Amino acid sequence: MAKKTRIKAKLKKGIVTVKAMANHAMLSYQEAEKAKKEVNFITYIVAKVNDKIVYEVSTSQFLSKNPYVKFQFRDGKKGDMVEFKWTDLKGNTQVSTGKIK
Amino acid sequence: MNRRNFLSLGLGALAVSMAPSTLSAINFRETKPKAWTATKVDVAMKEVFGTTSTTKGKVKLKAPDIAENGAVIPVTVSTKLVGSKVAIFQDSNPESTVAVFTVPENGIINYSVRIKMAKTGTVTAVVESNGKLYSSSKIVKVTIGGCGG
Repeated sequence: MAKKTRIKAKLKKGIVTVKAMANHAMLSYQEAEKAKKEVNFITYIVAKVNDKIVYEVSTSQFLSKNPYVKFQFRDGKKGDMVEFKWTDLKGNTQVSTGKIK
Repeated sequence: MNRRNFLSLGLGALAVSMAPSTLSAINFRETKPKAWTATKVDVAMKEVFGTTSTTKGKVKLKAPDIAENGAVIPVTVSTKLVGSKVAIFQDSNPESTVAVFTVPENGIINYSVRIKMAKTGTVTAVVESNGKLYSSSKIVKVTIGGCGG
């Protein structure tokens, strides 16, 4: 899980659109059984800008592999950093950041 | 206005302004563990929102009519409502709940995710706004299952 989440954040007319793709196998219970691997999937994603939460989601095993999410928020400035953090079933976390352009 | 009233007003305002920040940062996995094991959409909805009575409409759910690959189904939920919570359910996988979003203050509800579905089923998006639930559903035909099916 060395690969970072890819983040693209763009400011347009006062609204920031963020596209992020996390790198995660997202093995559901059925899939894990078939592949003889351990179940693991992202359970919680939170994105912050300047320590303010702009996106938050609790997820299940039914997100696709390498989950891609898109969301929008207001009050973003160019150059601000979007902090994107996920937590998976095993308790692993990964924080990635992307600059608003 | 005397000083005592003024003070309590200030405290009240403070409590209100503090409320949203404590409301957000909820990991529904921890606070509502039952919602994630529910096998029926109704049950899951009840676990997440506490009720199953929803009003159809006002929520836009974008999903393909036919998904060739059940492993990657793009789903977009958007609404102009000022909502506090958004959830996505489907009825083709063993468990119903896909994702529960907490909408931050002043947030825009326009969320896209890609989901997996084992077979043809109905995707339902529910938005909570001012204590009311608004929903929208769509049948997605899956030709190749994505959940090991």
